[in-house]
This record gives sequence, C-alpha cells and structure tokens, in this order.
Amino acid sequence: MNRAVSVCLALACPLLAQDARQIVEEAQRRGKVNSQRYEGVLEVTAADGKVTRKSWQTTRLGAYGNSKMVIRFLAPAEVKGVALLVVNHPERSSDQWMWTPAIGRDRRIALQDRSTRFFGTDFSFEDLEERDVDQYDYRLTGEEAMDGAPCWRIEARPRQGKSSQYTLTRIWIRKDNYVGAQYENLIKDQPVRRLVQKDIQNIQGIWTARTQEMTDLRRKGRTVLRMEKLEYNLPLKEDDFTIMALRREQ
Amino acid sequence: MILLRLITWPYVRKHLLRSVLTTAGIVLGVALLVGMQTANRSVLRAFNDTVERIAGKAQLQVSAGDAGFSEEVLERVQSLREIRAAAPVIEAEADPGFPGQGKLLILAVDMTGDRSLREYDFDNADENVIDDPLIFLAQPDSIILTREFAGRNHIAIGGKVAFATMLGRKQFTVRGILKAGGMAQAFGGNLGIMDIYAAQSVFGRGRHFDRIDIGLQEGVSLKQGEAALSAMLGPGFTVEPPSGRGRQFESLLGVYTLAMTASSMFALFIGMFIIYNSFAIAVTQRRGEIGILRALGATRGQIRTLFLGESAVAGLIGSATGAALGLIFARTLTGVSATMLESMFGVAQNVQDISANPGFLLFAMAMGTGTSIVAALVPARNAARIEPIQALQKGRYQVLGAGENRLRRNIALLAAALAVACLPLSAWRPAFFAGILLTLLACLLLTPFLSLELSRLLRRPMKWLRPVEGALAADSLIQAPRRTSATVAALMLSLALVVGQGGVARTSLQSIDEWMNNTLNPDMFVSTTENIASHGARFPTSMQQELESVPGIAEIQPERLPRLQFHGYPVLLLSTELAKLGRRVKRHMISGDEETMNRLASQEKGLILSENLAALVKLRLGDNVELATPTGMLRLPVVGTIRDLSNQMGTIIIERSLYIRYFQDDTVDVFRVYLRPGASQEEVRSRIVERMGRQRHLFVMLNREIRAYVAKVMNQWFGLTYVQVIVSMLVAILGIVNTLTVSISDRRRELGVLRAVGGLRNQIRGTVWMEAGAIGLIGLALGIATGAVTLYYELQAIQHDISGMPFAYEFPWGIVALLVPVILFAACGAAILPAESAVRGSLVEALEYE
Repeated sequence: MNRAVSVCLALACPLLAQDARQIVEEAQRRGKVNSQRYEGVLEVTAADGKVTRKSWQTTRLGAYGNSKMVIRFLAPAEVKGVALLVVNHPERSSDQWMWTPAIGRDRRIALQDRSTRFFGTDFSFEDLEERDVDQYDYRLTGEEAMDGAPCWRIEARPRQGKSSQYTLTRIWIRKDNYVGAQYENLIKDQPVRRLVQKDIQNIQGIWTARTQEMTDLRRKGRTVLRMEKLEYNLPLKEDDFTIMALRREQ
Repeated sequence: MILLRLITWPYVRKHLLRSVLTTAGIVLGVALLVGMQTANRSVLRAFNDTVERIAGKAQLQVSAGDAGFSEEVLERVQSLREIRAAAPVIEAEADPGFPGQGKLLILAVDMTGDRSLREYDFDNADENVIDDPLIFLAQPDSIILTREFAGRNHIAIGGKVAFATMLGRKQFTVRGILKAGGMAQAFGGNLGIMDIYAAQSVFGRGRHFDRIDIGLQEGVSLKQGEAALSAMLGPGFTVEPPSGRGRQFESLLGVYTLAMTASSMFALFIGMFIIYNSFAIAVTQRRGEIGILRALGATRGQIRTLFLGESAVAGLIGSATGAALGLIFARTLTGVSATMLESMFGVAQNVQDISANPGFLLFAMAMGTGTSIVAALVPARNAARIEPIQALQKGRYQVLGAGENRLRRNIALLAAALAVACLPLSAWRPAFFAGILLTLLACLLLTPFLSLELSRLLRRPMKWLRPVEGALAADSLIQAPRRTSATVAALMLSLALVVGQGGVARTSLQSIDEWMNNTLNPDMFVSTTENIASHGARFPTSMQQELESVPGIAEIQPERLPRLQFHGYPVLLLSTELAKLGRRVKRHMISGDEETMNRLASQEKGLILSENLAALVKLRLGDNVELATPTGMLRLPVVGTIRDLSNQMGTIIIERSLYIRYFQDDTVDVFRVYLRPGASQEEVRSRIVERMGRQRHLFVMLNREIRAYVAKVMNQWFGLTYVQVIVSMLVAILGIVNTLTVSISDRRRELGVLRAVGGLRNQIRGTVWMEAGAIGLIGLALGIATGAVTLYYELQAIQHDISGMPFAYEFPWGIVALLVPVILFAACGAAILPAESAVRGSLVEALEYE
C-alpha cells in the first residue's frame, strides 16, 4: 500500500509542478499587455515612522521579460526629471540606466547593484524588473487565503543563469483572477521582502492591483505605490525607450 | 650587580653632572631617531588608515596613475565573471575654510551601487544615513559629512558647506551624516561623500574615474582576480589590493625617509663618541680603584664586565629617556612632515595621532644601549688590561703612547689609501660605500694625532693672545689628548654633517635656480591650486581658448602632470605642446641635439627623459621606452635627455596630443602663460580673474611667486634636515661640556695653586674659555676638512643611489663662514658652567685635592 502511494505521488509530482508553472503562465498571460502607462504616488514609511512622498510616471512597452520601461519622477521638485530606463530580457537580467537632469548625465546601474534599495524605497532595483516565467522553476506548495481570497501558494526558484539576490520567492496567486496577491522574497530561507498587491480592479479587461505595498522585513520599512491614470495598450514608440529619450525633458 | 652597586653607584653620585652629560648624547640621538621614525610612520599610517577605511570590502583596486581613465572601462570590468562588484571612485581634496580644521577628503562614489563595497548605513532605522537618497543623487550639491566633522563645525542635515571647485566657490548641502566609526574615521574624520558624476564636473575630471574598487565573486582568489583584470585591461592599468597604494606612497616618501634615517643614525653615532670619551676618562681617573679591585682578586673579565655593565645601564637609561622624548618630539615633527609632504608631493594628510611602534621603540632602545656598549668596549678593554701595580702608582697616563700613536696613524693612512683606491672603482657600489667607511675611519683614527698637533700649533697664538691663560689652556690640551680627542671627533663629525648638508642644499638650490631660469620662464601660471604639486582638480582643455582671448597674452602652453610608476619609480609624466615649449625654453641638454629633440618629440616620434631618471633606469639616447597606458603600450625612442628638476625621481616628457590619445585625458593641470611685450603682469592677472574667476576656481601666479613657492618648499625640505643638524651639534657641544668638566676636575689642584699665588678668578675663567675655544677651533678645522670630503660622497650617493640627480660640487663657504662664530660662541657658552665651577669652592680643598 505504502509503495503504491509513493509511486502515485512520484507520478503526481511532475503533474503538480506543471500545474504550478501553468498557473504562473496563466497569470502572466492574463496580465500581458503591449504597453502600459500610469502615474504613481510613492509613500515611503521608515522604521522610525518618518514618511516621504514622491510621484512618478511609468511607461512600459512590451510584455513580461521582454519589455522596456521608463520611470520618470514628477515630484518633489528636487527629483523632478530624474528618470530610469529598464530594459528587460527574457534570457538574462535587465539593463538599467538612470538619468539625472541636474548634472546632465546618465549612468548605468550595474548588474551587481540590483540588490541595492531603489532610491530609499523598500523596493530593490531587481524588484523593478519583470519576471518571465522561463526564468524560474516552480513548485506548488498548497493553497491559502489572502485577504479573504483563495490563492495558490507557489515557490519559485531562479534558474541557473538568472542573477538574483533572492534564493526563493513564495507567490500567492488568486484563483479568481490570477492576480498575484502576495510575493515573499527569501534569501537563504530568511524572508527579506514582502510585496502585497491590493485594490485589484479590472482596467481595460486586465485585472490589475492598483496598490502595491512592499515591506522590508529586516529594516522594518514600508513603501506603498498607488497607481493612478492607469492605461494599457497605448501606441508607444520604441524611440521613447532609449537613453536619448531619457535626456529629453517632458 | 654588587660591583655596580658598590663601585659604580658612588662614582656616579659623586660625578652626577658628568654622568648626566654622558647619557645626554644617547638621549638626544635616540630621541631624534624615535622622533623622526615615529613622525614618518604616523604620516604613513594615517595615509594607510584612510586608504583601508575608504576601501571597505574592496579586495582589489584598478587605477592608471594620476591620469585616471575613461568611464567605459567600468563596463568592461563589470562584465568579467570573476567580479562581484565594481564601484568607480574619485578622490579629491577640498578646503572648506574652517579655521584649524584642515582639508576635507572628498570621496565621490556612485551611491546606486557603492554599498556593496562600503558600509554607509545600518540596520538600526534611527541611524539612517542619507536623508533622501534620490534627492542626494538628483542634486549635484549634495554631500554627506561624518558626524565628527559636522559636529566640530556645527553643521546639521540641511546645513551648508562651501569650498572651491572648478566651477568657482560652491555651496554644498549636507544631506546625510555618517555615523562615527569605520569609514567615517578616514582622514581623521574629515571625510565628505559626493555623487561621482557630480564630482566629475566639480573637480574637472571630464568623463574619467580615478579608480575602480573591486569585490570578487566567492571562490575567486586575489591572484585570480588580479590576473583576470590585468589580462583584460592591459599593462596601462595597475591592479592591486588597497594596501598597494600605501606602498606607492611609501615609495614616494622613499628619499625623504632615507635622508631622515641616515641623519638620525648619524646623531646616534656622534653620541657614541661622548660615551667613549666619558668612559675613557673614567678609566683613567679610576685607575686606583681598578688597581685595588685587581689586587683584591678581581679578574680582568670582571673589570671589563663592570665597565660594560655601567655603559649598558647608562645606555639603557639614556635610551629609555630618549625614546620618551622622541615621542614628544614626534607630535611636532608629524605636523611638519605632513605639511612638507603635501607641498612636495601634493598628497594631503590629516594626521590626528602619532603612531608609535613598540617594536621600533625597543629597537631604538637596543640601538642606544648597543651604541653605549660599543662605545665603552675600548675603555673597558683598557681598564681590564691595567696591571694592579701600575694602577696603584701615581702619575699621568693621559699621554698617548708613542707606539699607540704610530699604530693609529699607520692604520689611518692605510685606510685613507684604500679609500682613494676605491674612488676609480665607485661604479661598483660596494667599493663606493667601502670608500665612505674607510674615509670616515681614517678621519677618526687621525683625530687624536691631529688634535695634538693642532693643539701644539695653537699654543703660540693662544699665548700671544693671553700669555698666562692661553698657555695654560694649550698645555691642558697637549697634556691630556685622550680627554680631548673623542670630543673633537664628535664635533668633527657633526660639523662634517653640517658642511655636507649645507653643500647639498647649496648645490641643489643653485641647480634649481638655473633650471627655473631656463624652464620656469613663463610670465605667469594658471593653476587649480596654490600648491602646484597638488593636482586634485583639473581644467578643461577648452579653457585654453578662453585664456588666449585675454588681452595681453601672447601664448598659452597647457601642461598635464600626472604621476605614474615607471620601472618601479614614481615619475612625473609631463605632456605639453612641445613645439611651443621648444621655442620659449632653453634646455640644459645632457645627450642629443636640442633642435632635433624638440622636432622629433613634437612630431610624436620620441620622448624626452630627465637626466636623473635616465641614470636611475639606465636608459640612453636612442633606447626604446615602453610606457603602459590605459589604451595600450606606447613605444617611443629616447630623443633627448635633459636636466629637469620637476620631480625628485624623474620626468618623462611627451607631446600633448600623444598623451590625449593614449591616456584619453585632455584635461590640464597648469597653463603656462607668456605675455606680449609691454603687457603688465598685474593687469593681465586681474583680467583673467575677472573673466574666469567667478565660474572657475583658479590661481594665477606670477613667475616670481612660483619661484618663492619653490624656495619655500626647498626650505621646508632642508629645514627638517637642519633640525637633525642642530641636534647633532648639541650632542657635540655636550661633549665639550663633558670634557671641560673633567678637565676642571683633573686640574683642580693646579687651578688651586694658581689662585693661591694670586691668580684672579677671571684669569681662571679665561683659561677654561680658551681651552673650550681651542677645542672648538680644532673641531672646526677637522670638521670642515672632513665635510669637504664627505660632501663629495654625499653628492655621489644622491646621484647614483637615491634620485639620480647630478649636482655639481659646491663648497658651502657661506655656511662655513657662519659656522665659525657659531661654534666658537657655542664652545665658549659650553665653558660657562665648568668655568664657574673652577673658580668656586674652597681653595684649601683644591690644594689638598689629589
């Protein structure tokens, strides 16, 4: 009997693993758009309770793992015009550049620097990259409700060749709309960051979390990003996603 | 130990002043050695400490000398799989102008990625370092200060600090305070952090970095990392651990350290003669005591051990006192050394504490004690050889035995002959140094004989001057040559040092003057700092056109002056428009034809070497030179060697266009400005400052001001050696005091008889002063003669072993003329106390003295 159960489980494992990947693939497929634009308000709460606010505009061209994104800060005045270009690649880590208008210079953000916090927020530079389903191995570890919504709980490990500061990511994907409700990033079995996606709405047929809350579990800081004026599938040009474009004033 | 307690201690107590004077020579010698070494070590330690603290977790550093390198190198480095983190760095100094606070070391980094190598923030949220990192990066006026510096100057977050930049004097906003400890303690806490790209424009770096700090992947060794980086970057780059910068700085200090060490050891050597003199006199005076001990059964070995033990104890006490005094000196000397090094090499230092090396202190004490024991070897041996019957007999034993005298003379003459024989073999360095030692040996061995002969020669003029006092003084010298000769030897050596150093200084200054007349002949210089050796900030090449448009200016010559390592030497690479330079400057050619040299070099077909560098690395006209550059190897023949004193360890001169191409650096350190005939220097200076002073930080220095600056730096350099010379002379003067004290003691009965038959106190004083004056004169004569010889050796050593600089032999007449009255005055001054002790005291006791 025990042997039969073991054989069945062994046979079932590939099926379960496939399901995990299929779930992620489906989530990616449902969220796939050709382009995206929104204005975001970023609120950073430090461990001592101090709050800072910034706003930015994000435009993205392309889809998961194969896209380009420009983040341009709108406020406060001291950071207005600072822009970040992220070029995602499916087969390797993204390329990132930053443009600083006050000194008229762009700088490349090195691969090794992706673990650095993104400008004092609780996101790291790596967190801004988009994950492609092929960059990870998945395992379904169970089901759990998040905020009242049933979710699949999946573990994702970076494959060889995918440079990441995280050794493991736990993902909770909602069963009803395949939106990621929560992501928990671990470094060597230690949870270090947790991203909670809330305020999920249907925008142009795409279920989208309009609020993202990232908590740095080590530093006890929290960053909340609220997306406004969110639009999909806009006619954006490739030329707008180059370093030259970064240098152009809005 | 019993003998020391029962025999030595009563003697010491009885002759306390003499004992103190005996150890004073060791005290001063050890103090000088410890002071100089500690000051040097403190400066070096401060530099290394700053390097280490700033390096953080960086395991390797990539640099290309002072020239820096293009930004694109960073991406290449980051692409290597052995590299975990690669962080670009610019380091520069800024003067915020806070009185007494010194300069600020600006560390400019890319904060988006630098934290993988350096600790800036901490887990405790209360210690958030940067107020808002995005604002820090977005605003080029952002700066982080250390809590220590900010606290000292009452600056809080949001406060301002201003300093001169290439864009004029700018205010910077403090956007973060670095917690104390770790990196924040670099440069004595005077550290500021800026964004590297903002720093590029502020410090005129263009699109260059100074270096890249490297963190290696786990499992990659230093050697593997170095090999991978060197293979990719080529020979124009230096890849080394952070500690390598300390070694480079140390090599820069090399000449200075060598000079200080040599002079310190010399002072100790002179102190040895004081000890020898004292013990030689003590052995003579204690003959009776020795005779009794021997008669009671003491062996020769015990007698020898007694005197060696005394010298060891004196040496130990003197060394310990000297070491303590040296640490006190070091505090002052450190500041002086640091200032001098900044003036000469442009490397600013902020030395907060002295760094004493316990190991070196023990070494110095061992040296002092050892010197004392060595000095007492001969007297101890002589004491051991005294026969009891001989010792118990009364009589004078100060006279040099004829046999002993002859032996010394013969050995001296042999040594002198061998020294002369070594001269033609000087190209072989061991023969050269053997020649120096033989010369000194000959001089020392001849000192007793020459002292005696000169004393005899001086008798007649002294008697002519003061019949009674003069005769008595001369007779005292003639009858007690042992008492005098060691003191004369000490004075001779110290004066030889003065003459030698004076000769080197005189010839150096003359050579520099000649070089300045020929080469530093522009009407004015436009520089980024007042200290022309310091090149933290640089001008853009576009500034040349701006300057050329200023009325009154005929020609502008841009110069770039980075330092780099060449065959292990820190040399200056001077790049300029050689055709222009050739029309204005007359070179002192050593090899090659000047016109051909200028033509070929300006056509990028060759390079020019300074004479001293060519000598050091043994390169000649026509030899091919390989210069490692960031873009590859630059191979050029030597088209001329010239006398150039821009840099102690030598200069390589190439055409500016070649430099720009190979080093990808078109910035400028100094503009040489030639005016039109009739143009007023002051007016042109005002125009330059008015037109460009607001947008740029610049210094316009007239030719005479540059000369004054160079003279000041030279005086600082020689100033430190003069300190050592003064100490050496103090040691010698102590010897005179010691000798006179003993002389008074020995002649107490004689002086008592003089007073009893009507001699006046002034006459007694006079005889002592004349004796002191005679010792001074004899020491002067021998010292000047010895100095004339050692000056030759010093100049040869400088040329062939130290910096390659060939200086002409110039006897320092001016210094000698000054020395004569100074030494005579000092000698008479040294006689004051002994003279007073000769006239005080009971006449009856003096007559009873035996």
